Amino acid sequence: MTTDLERALSKLRFDDQVLGYSLMTKDGRPFVSFSFPDELFPRVRDSISLYKSDLRLMTIDTEKGLVVLSPVDTNWILTVLYVPELQLGLAIAKTKNVLRLLEGIELPPPPDEFEESVEGNLQVLETIAINAASTSPVPSSNGQPVDVPVTAAASPAVTAASAPIIERSPEDFAVQPSTIPKRGETYTTALTLDSDLHKEMKKNHRNFGFDVLMLVDGKLTVERIADSMFQSNERVAELLMWAASKGIVNVPLETGTVKKKEATLGRFVKCPKYEGPPAKVKPEHKRIINACDGTQTTDAIAELLGVTHAKVIQTVALYRKHGLKMIGRTV
Amino acid sequence: MAKIQNPLLLTLYSKYVDRILSSTASIEDANQRLRDLGRDIGSQVYLTTEIVDKTKETVSTREDVAKLMDVIFKSLFNKKPSNVDMKTARGSVRVTDKDCLWCQDVHLEGMRGFGYCEIFSGILEAILEFKGVESKVFQEMCRATGAEVCTWNVRLVW
Repeated sequence: MTTDLERALSKLRFDDQVLGYSLMTKDGRPFVSFSFPDELFPRVRDSISLYKSDLRLMTIDTEKGLVVLSPVDTNWILTVLYVPELQLGLAIAKTKNVLRLLEGIELPPPPDEFEESVEGNLQVLETIAINAASTSPVPSSNGQPVDVPVTAAASPAVTAASAPIIERSPEDFAVQPSTIPKRGETYTTALTLDSDLHKEMKKNHRNFGFDVLMLVDGKLTVERIADSMFQSNERVAELLMWAASKGIVNVPLETGTVKKKEATLGRFVKCPKYEGPPAKVKPEHKRIINACDGTQTTDAIAELLGVTHAKVIQTVALYRKHGLKMIGRTV
Repeated sequence: MAKIQNPLLLTLYSKYVDRILSSTASIEDANQRLRDLGRDIGSQVYLTTEIVDKTKETVSTREDVAKLMDVIFKSLFNKKPSNVDMKTARGSVRVTDKDCLWCQDVHLEGMRGFGYCEIFSGILEAILEFKGVESKVFQEMCRATGAEVCTWNVRLVW
């Protein structure tokens, strides 16, 4: 649990545009902090107490930089200080990326007594989690923390690259926008700062490799990873193919030359996305418009809701003036 | 040399026609495939033009269909159709364009029955469907094969 938490937080630590961060309790007390200026805490605390349980994502423009606050769960709030020149949208997107990494981690509530802003508090959190037993994913028989939960998470992964004896080149792997990469056997090594693999990755791909790997969780597709990083599918696919050749991630193998010829960018489709005010949507159109989230084609929406394609087009067309966009993407 | 309107569209479309003609031996099949192409892009046309805003929500009479044709021509070609005939054929509306965009400067020989502009039939069919009107549209005459004008027959299935 804590190792995953550390990994998520280290994404912030290694981000050049992050000046500091703090994992805070819902009362606004800093629990674990990294380079977060103390003088900003009172202001952050005031904002937290102002919104209490209603706190969603919030930004505060300070003289030190841009602070983004976001609740992780009912007990914890993640506060990140970004460099002042960073665009608001990018700051929010970066925060959301870390939140996504935190999604699968069950954090125990904070202890009653603790010293504020201490990095060692992560271990405190781990102890609480293990005592609570149910929150620890792989407790060992003697109750001690298991050091390598990532390996455990990676073990059921696809067998495509599970034969490290066979040297494979990046071209041997097929990565499409819809491919879901999984963590491979050397995933942990690649993220270990002093490993040769990490150095190689850093040399060839700089921080991009690290950023992509942080988002490989066995659930996100290549397209989602690329979207959340504001990068092209091809660039992410290229990195993943290299990573697959090193056993860092598992992706399907290329199957023969015929398939190779068919390997294209994928089918280009347009997906409706409604970004207008919900109040403008008539009750009879709600089902269709609610499905317009920019990820499904009109055909898919028709099939999903059991209505005709013509009905979907008719409805979608009516809401263009209210803020419905067609998002082009490859699938 | 005749002045060509929208040469890019014309060039792209002629590539499509080339591809279809080189992959079939049947005129009727080629016509159908061009109509299918039109139906395929009909939804995009409907979603990217003002047609939806400028027409009644439901089209229920032949007069409504005629008005819809005017709006479609205005939106796509910035002009009116040369003629919309509701009288001569029962159950049909005939739409005529003497300066059809699709087949400008195209001259075909020995291809009787081929509707070079059948893509537009498909587009019309799709838009009518989105307006709740079932129809079968086909090109009756085509300038590319020697006719004076291009005419589409919109057969309405009320």
